Amino acid sequence: MNQKNIDNIIELSNELRWQIGDDFHDNLTEGIYADAADIVKDTVQVDHSKKRFRLDSKIDKIVTSKTFGFPIMFLILGTVLWLTIVGANYPSSLLANLLLDNIHPLLKSGAASIGMPWWLDGFLIDGVYLAVAWVIAVMLPPMAIFFPMFTLLEDFGYLPRVAFNLDSLFKKSGAHGKQALTMSMGFGCNAAGVVATRIIDSPRERLIAIITNNFSLCNGRWPTQILIATIFIGAVVPSSISSFVSLLAVIGIAVLGMAFMFTVSWALSKTVLKGEVSTFNLELPPYRPPRFWKTIYTSLIDRTLIVLWRAIVFAAPAGAVIWLISNIYIGNESIASWAISSMDGFGFLLGLNGVILLAYIVAIPANEIVIPTILMLTVMVTGISGGEGAGVMFELDSMNATGDVLRAGGWTLLTAINLMLFSLLHNPCSTTIYTIYKETKSAKWTIFASIMPVILGFVVTFLVAQFWRLFI
Amino acid sequence: MNNYNPISALIIFFVIVALLFVFFRPIKGWFWILRKNFKNNEKTIIEDILKQLYHFENSGNKVDMKTLVQVLDYKNTRIVEAINKMTINDLIYFESDILKLSETGREYALRIVRVHRLWERYLADKTGFHKTEWHDRAEMMEHKLNHDETNTLAAHLGNPKFDPHGDPIPTKTGKVAQVNGVELPLLQVNTIGRITHIEDEPEVIYKQILAENIHIGSLIRVIENNNTRITFQSEGEEFKLAPIVAANLTVSPIEKEVVIEDNIARLSSLDEEETAKIIGISKESRGESRRRLLDLGFVKGAKISIDLMNPLGEPHAYLIKGTSIALRKDQAAKILIKKD
Amino acid sequence: METKVKSACDTCAHFNADGLKKLGIHTDNFDFVVALAGNPNTGKSTVFNALTGLRQHTGNWPGKTVTRAEGGFEYNTQKFKLVDLPGTYSLLSTSEDEEAARDFILFGKPNVTVIVVDANRLERNLNLVLQILEITDKAVLCLNLMDEAKRNNISIDERTLARDLGIPVVPTSARFNQGIPELIQTISEIANGTIICKPHRIKNVPDNIEKAVKTLAAEIEKEFPNIPNSRWIAFRLLEGDTQIINALKAGELV
Repeated sequence: MNQKNIDNIIELSNELRWQIGDDFHDNLTEGIYADAADIVKDTVQVDHSKKRFRLDSKIDKIVTSKTFGFPIMFLILGTVLWLTIVGANYPSSLLANLLLDNIHPLLKSGAASIGMPWWLDGFLIDGVYLAVAWVIAVMLPPMAIFFPMFTLLEDFGYLPRVAFNLDSLFKKSGAHGKQALTMSMGFGCNAAGVVATRIIDSPRERLIAIITNNFSLCNGRWPTQILIATIFIGAVVPSSISSFVSLLAVIGIAVLGMAFMFTVSWALSKTVLKGEVSTFNLELPPYRPPRFWKTIYTSLIDRTLIVLWRAIVFAAPAGAVIWLISNIYIGNESIASWAISSMDGFGFLLGLNGVILLAYIVAIPANEIVIPTILMLTVMVTGISGGEGAGVMFELDSMNATGDVLRAGGWTLLTAINLMLFSLLHNPCSTTIYTIYKETKSAKWTIFASIMPVILGFVVTFLVAQFWRLFI
Repeated sequence: MNNYNPISALIIFFVIVALLFVFFRPIKGWFWILRKNFKNNEKTIIEDILKQLYHFENSGNKVDMKTLVQVLDYKNTRIVEAINKMTINDLIYFESDILKLSETGREYALRIVRVHRLWERYLADKTGFHKTEWHDRAEMMEHKLNHDETNTLAAHLGNPKFDPHGDPIPTKTGKVAQVNGVELPLLQVNTIGRITHIEDEPEVIYKQILAENIHIGSLIRVIENNNTRITFQSEGEEFKLAPIVAANLTVSPIEKEVVIEDNIARLSSLDEEETAKIIGISKESRGESRRRLLDLGFVKGAKISIDLMNPLGEPHAYLIKGTSIALRKDQAAKILIKKD
Repeated sequence: METKVKSACDTCAHFNADGLKKLGIHTDNFDFVVALAGNPNTGKSTVFNALTGLRQHTGNWPGKTVTRAEGGFEYNTQKFKLVDLPGTYSLLSTSEDEEAARDFILFGKPNVTVIVVDANRLERNLNLVLQILEITDKAVLCLNLMDEAKRNNISIDERTLARDLGIPVVPTSARFNQGIPELIQTISEIANGTIICKPHRIKNVPDNIEKAVKTLAAEIEKEFPNIPNSRWIAFRLLEGDTQIINALKAGELV
């Protein structure tokens, strides 16, 4: 091989290309398709005489019709979400009962009987084990319900029709119709939603979908929203409508999330992302009956377990950190209470408090452990009775008891509302951040996607807090 | 927190937001203006002068100091300084009052033009920037790329012959392809021709042309030509332009007897139950979008019909080569068809 | 093109069912590498699962398999490693998927490339097939979803198709495991050199381009006498494909 000859070949190609002009690609593609048409003419026979019933187009006519298209869509997606949230309650409490109320004491007494030093027992069992157990109990059931259902819809071929129906809404905010699906997937888990953006084959729209996926309230945050809404918002209205109002509040937060998703998508496409390539095409594949059990199996393996595993990997060290900051003392104060008092001022500006901010910092790995951490820290700084001890996360069986602890920690209706807002608008969990990095392969966009929501959260909670204090 | 009250907190917040806006708002933010002024060094001025001289000489106009100072957006003293330096370096010389490019100056100018047009081509093919932004971005870039980077860029783009406005891109040896054609107002009624160039300066007129949806490479037929307006037909639509606007379009008349298909339409005008054959994709669809459309089978001669109407009006799904593919309205408008 | 390519029915009788072992993801010490290419939505992953016994997720959705999936099977004591490439419409553009698929066929040098096509949409699928046949001459066409095609009253003359394309054609319905034994048999025969393909080359190219391609391909062949895809490299050079230019400079294409 001779380098000079190769350079000559490349030089020749440049020269030839210049002579051919700029239509090379068009001509080549047209040539290939012309060949394909020639071959097909000789080999393929379509018997038009037998009029066949096109089930596909019948279904399509219905699911994309003006009258039925949207109701069907909301019905299906609503059912999926409802089944997920409601259906997960029972297995979740079962798991919590098993992992937190039975195995945890068992492990503690086992550790005591072999004479494990208190700090090792605390670090491993109260820290690492509890965090992992919590994440499994809260996260596994909804995901094991949500992902198989979503995958069934996907395999059947319905989801592309949803993208088709909704595209013009998303187009207005510079996004791709398929973002409707990655967004819905985000209601299950943001990390899975970010992975799902692979179906968007246009670079600009894909980045938009990745960056804004965090505005979909994920499974780890639904329970927080429901708990806080029930305790604080449900309490200010007559008890006959309290559950209805608190449900409305949670839905309001989810809808607000979608509003942020559209606004931020629009702003991104007009500013930082306007130079990225943007294309659109959407294939509507034929419907194929999904193979039920196989789909269930693969969605459990491919999606649920992989995401759960990642969450566990990140939650374990978080548990350790939570235990450590509450048990390592600098002078007379634990790291946790020192951090809380130094962040209290900033927290107050945002209508929150130091406990909440610290909980969100240490709970970056998993939104599931935010409430247990807040409870533990509140008990620790207020010194009220209850709780399991420094660094041991816990949850209370009754909502009233939870409410009492939080009110003792100085919570008001404003704190509750701002916590709900901040739970919607804060950085993605570390599993999602890691996934964003893997998908974009860009530190710049990962950092942007992580920081932008927190800043939004600060601004929104700050404004709400000031106006609240001014007018109420 | 002693003297906290919500009003002062809000005031501080809005002051900070306002400051950030003043500094960093796009283009007019102080930060960007400062940065731009900082970067306008002597090299930039020299290169801009060379480019202006090149364009003037190409269009057969003569330039003296006064005209130059008028067209360039720099302080007079800096321009004079730059010109002195350029005469010393033999880039330009004076013929009495008239400024002229020397051989080296001309080569240098061609290099700048090459970078500018290549970069516009790059922006058109490989990025999503809107076409109104190409020119300004290329103006910045032309001072930045060195010789090797330019050649790498050209290779990456496949050594294109023309920029997206139809201007020829000089090769690295200084070869420039010929743009055929005359200004649109010079054409007779009923002439058939192809638009080969759209002038992107002045901006006001260029924007007007863009708004009309007229693009390079499309066939036109002149219907009416008088002092007040020029009417022509292209891609199934009729356009009416004032002569001053039309003068920015260069059209190359087609000598051969081509049959300009009378009932060419855009795919976006296809109705349910109608079928059509694809004539081609308008040159306005370029880069990655164009490639995707071609790959998906939107090629000359393909049969197409509407598979599904959208409840919200767009995108519609089209049945092409056995598959249902949804396209947005603006994409469908760039696919030319002939209805059956 | 008058090569004697065996059509599916000549080969099916030879399938040796006892010689088959599905290896799942255990692909150490393989003898041959097989690439699986095809448009999205052609049931490519189903074919992959049928061949390997794995249960890869098969979304009804273009562009699902971005990460490369690998698996394997053993046939007549030879081990085959199977690589499922991303589903793409073409190899000419620059998306991540297309680059991954193209790079594997070009640089991974698979011993056999199985091109899965949807029998209902043959014309559209041939776009990719014809491009792949410019790159590699060891390929088999897997005419999948034959059951759907039958329901749609589409009949395909497999012999003529095999003759036109110059590669073996195997009709399958991977969902029901139909045609998979024949496919395995054909893969094995191509890998072992029993079937020699003489793939179709793109014909309908305008004269000026054809002339340029010929000139360039001749120069390339002068430099690399045994290169199978000089024409395709010429296409890529004319397109200004930086990656191919660099690979050519580094001598990675031979």
